[in-house]
Amino acid sequence: MDFRPLNDTERRNLISALRGNADNNRAILMDQRDTTFAGTSEEVTDDEVISAIKSVPCHYGSL
Amino acid sequence: MLQALVSSACRLLNHLSRTLTGERLPPPELLASPAPKTYRRLARVRVTDQVCRTMFEEFGAHRRSERGDEEIGWVLLGVREESDALVLATLPAGANRSAGVAHVRFNSNGQALGSRIVRQWDRRLTLVGVVHTHPGSLRHPSEGDYQGDSLWVGQLRGGDGIFGIGTADAKGLNGTLVAHQSEQHRQTLGELNFSWYALAHGDKRYRKLPLEVTLGPDLAKPLHPVWDVVETHAEALDCLCRQQAGMSFDIVAGVEGPALAAQMPLADKGSFLRIVLERDEVRYFVQQEGLLSAVDPDADTVNRGVYLILAELANLKNNALAAP
Repeated sequence: MDFRPLNDTERRNLISALRGNADNNRAILMDQRDTTFAGTSEEVTDDEVISAIKSVPCHYGSL
Repeated sequence: MLQALVSSACRLLNHLSRTLTGERLPPPELLASPAPKTYRRLARVRVTDQVCRTMFEEFGAHRRSERGDEEIGWVLLGVREESDALVLATLPAGANRSAGVAHVRFNSNGQALGSRIVRQWDRRLTLVGVVHTHPGSLRHPSEGDYQGDSLWVGQLRGGDGIFGIGTADAKGLNGTLVAHQSEQHRQTLGELNFSWYALAHGDKRYRKLPLEVTLGPDLAKPLHPVWDVVETHAEALDCLCRQQAGMSFDIVAGVEGPALAAQMPLADKGSFLRIVLERDEVRYFVQQEGLLSAVDPDADTVNRGVYLILAELANLKNNALAAP
């Protein structure tokens, strides 16, 4: 196990990822070999997409 | 004193750890930044060639159909980058749309289920915009479009949406084999045009959006031949997706052409419930202990059929456990 403290960039990235997870439900990726933090994904939730689809307004043309 | 000793030991271990591992770490600038994107106003839209083909082909086919004088359209799914978007999938307005010569409201139930199916292959896909057609030669969103779009775009990533307008008013001088871009924001094939615009939250008017075509798929294209099935069972299947984990979808060969298949894992390893949906028929199959069985729950809706089968399977299991 590596108990090394995070450097500034890693710490900033982890905080940003945690905030993204809490605020926007973004997944936090984990390194499968050692379970360390491996970044965030750009995943979008079903609810976000379906909410936008369900509210697409009526569109009008003009003859 | 013990506390001081522990503290010193921790500092020493910390220093040792940095010394030993520091060399293995890449420099910070090489680490992929997981920071959320900072969205700027859309500067261009990139559309895959298959998405372009879908829209031209289906717009042309629609004009030749019985409802050809109505407006038609698609919802666009894609990946939103910081200052552009890549369009990767088209979700049709659907046969159950509300439409006339001067308006179209998409069947959002079908599109919602369609988005679930397409996004099982790429979870980055989000709604990036909408395309609809105009019956005359208005190649720009109408005032009526603006009334709705201006209120709606705020919920999209970056608060900026893509709006395509299809018209059938080109001279067709270039034939119908090869499309050309007469302007940066317009693509023409035969008599058909698609003109691209963007509208951001708070904007007073749409702005022309340069179009770039790139090689790539329409990820929703395999769904289009079974879109009537998607629309018919949209509410029941969407209900199952919300209530049951692990639902997955596929397009399979049915009795009369392509069919939509939905699969749900069961409790035992390797066992599942599979539903094959076609225009006039829904068939249920249960895979358990290496055996595939057809089941007829005699249900009027798919979600009711699924729960009747699950209840029966639970009953069989309980009886087996109770047997001496």
